[in-house]
Amino acid sequence: MKRKETAKSKMQSQNEKRIKKGVSQWNIAWRRFKKNRAALAGALIVGFVVFLATFDALIAPYAPNETPGFYTGETRNPPSLKYLFGTDYIGKDVFSQVVYGSRSALFVGFASAGIAMSLAILVGLISGYYGGMIDNILMRVSEIFLVIPFLLILLVFLKVINVITPGGGGLSMVVLMIGLFSWAADARLIRGEVLRVKESTFVEASKSLGASKRRIVFRHIFPNVLHIIIVLTTLMIASAILVEAAISFLGFGDAAAITWGQQLQKANEAVKEAWWEGVFPGLFITLLVLGFSLLGNGLRDALDPRLRE
Amino acid sequence: MTAKEILKIENLRTYFDTWAGLVKAVDGVNLDVREGETLGLVGESGSGKSVTALSILGIVPRPGKIIDGKIIFKGENLLEKSESELQKIRGKEIAYIFQDPSTSLNPVLSIANQLIEVIMRHQEVTKKEALEKAIALLKLVEIPDPELKIWSYPHQLSGGMKQRIAVARALSCQPSLLLADEPTTSLDVTIQAQILTLMRDLTKKLNMSMILITHDMGVVAEMADRITVIYAGRICETADTRTIFYKPKHPYTVALLTAVPSLALRKEKLAVIPGTIPNLIEPPSGCRFHPRCQYAKAACAKEIPSLKEVEPGHFVACIRSHEIDIKSPLGAKANE
Repeated sequence: MKRKETAKSKMQSQNEKRIKKGVSQWNIAWRRFKKNRAALAGALIVGFVVFLATFDALIAPYAPNETPGFYTGETRNPPSLKYLFGTDYIGKDVFSQVVYGSRSALFVGFASAGIAMSLAILVGLISGYYGGMIDNILMRVSEIFLVIPFLLILLVFLKVINVITPGGGGLSMVVLMIGLFSWAADARLIRGEVLRVKESTFVEASKSLGASKRRIVFRHIFPNVLHIIIVLTTLMIASAILVEAAISFLGFGDAAAITWGQQLQKANEAVKEAWWEGVFPGLFITLLVLGFSLLGNGLRDALDPRLRE
Repeated sequence: MTAKEILKIENLRTYFDTWAGLVKAVDGVNLDVREGETLGLVGESGSGKSVTALSILGIVPRPGKIIDGKIIFKGENLLEKSESELQKIRGKEIAYIFQDPSTSLNPVLSIANQLIEVIMRHQEVTKKEALEKAIALLKLVEIPDPELKIWSYPHQLSGGMKQRIAVARALSCQPSLLLADEPTTSLDVTIQAQILTLMRDLTKKLNMSMILITHDMGVVAEMADRITVIYAGRICETADTRTIFYKPKHPYTVALLTAVPSLALRKEKLAVIPGTIPNLIEPPSGCRFHPRCQYAKAACAKEIPSLKEVEPGHFVACIRSHEIDIKSPLGAKANE
């Protein structure tokens, strides 16, 4: 009996708090996200890698370019207490390299997704809201980007840039290229969502109350498509990390950068003798991509208005 | 009847250029609204009521376009104004209340934000002052606990509450003309009465004019000072409310009145107007109502009836209005 009462009073106080603050759709989404175990696991994985990247110099036992095994003859040594993930072909500590690689991975993921999503949002909003001729042109351009074989054209471009300017801008160039070539599909998805929201009465209502076009797009339509943008961004980060790993593995990336893809490429020649050289970076790629994918799916479930109970 | 006209629409034509053909949704509408009065704009679904109202604000959705006519608001033709000039009038001078409150509020913004946005757009106030004004508005539309309720989001409020907020938002800058597009159609009957009473009181209090768009004859009877009946994009009849109800001259008005279910008349079956509203791509020639009109004769299909003043303040667009003897279904009551 008493327990029931305390539960009741707890509910009441919670209720008052809610009324005071107002329950926005973000509150509702957060409540749902918290219940989703897979999504929380994803967030945890991503959080873990972010932690590694933030404190990389403290966590990694060796400096980025240090080759502790080189002078002692400990090249391609198996994992041990001294070298947690073993050493690579010139005696670098694989664990330290994986830790430093986490920063590159996050940089590649966030920066590429940042570029790609900025383009996608811009194109999606303009195309969806203004429609007509502008929409037609932008959508045809996006189709061109969709039909060209993505990885192939990336490799060609990176090769050409490398030939024209040796060194070629390094990892940033890879990031830029990934960003420039992967916006099209998301732009179309955002456009579709804008088309749906644009027809809402509240858009017409804000027009009837004197809102300018820019205000309608950014204040009224954008927040209503933000949920899909967040989801797409998370998934874009995951795919950008994978693409960079592929590019590096194929030898078209920035050889000077410490990335998991580069580690894979160097491990490639000795998979049989030194599995640890490739397995650990590979494991981290998988883990981080999985983390972002779980996070993205969780966010989609939490934010999709159609799944609202 | 000497009150000043605040809005005068002359010969308005709004067409929609669709793939199926040119839809003449509004085809030569004339109406006027006087200061402080409520004009009921009545017609069936698809008769051009909403398009007329949207045309006033210049927000006809694509592919709609205003082809011809004049919309004179406070002595200025709105159709000659630029988009940015119109943006200053929308919400400030003329406000619109939509039919369905559950979709006319932005679901991701709190009530406070939505009200403040409109207030700050049209008035030189700080955010804090705007918030105070917004709370005062909620008080005005009789929302309990306005200080708390203002932070809620649309999905936390009931339909009636949302429509009160929509009314508050429309009134936020004290417009001189309110366009209410079936403001109570999506609400249940008891809430309807509340919202209508509220709107009537507020228009009186703030001395606003209102165009009340509805297909509900009961609602206009309660609310309107004058009524304009519209059919298939053209005006049939305009007169003060009493005249429309008790001495209508247009067969369509009579048909509408006959179709009102009434407890007092206690008919066996509900009366309906035979047929449906015509296809507006190829509307009937002459009088657009003639295919459904029981008084129609050959001339009705040829001649387009113009709006004629048959009595002071009573305009009818029917070439036979002088020769046919039609009676209001409410006629008996008028004599009492």
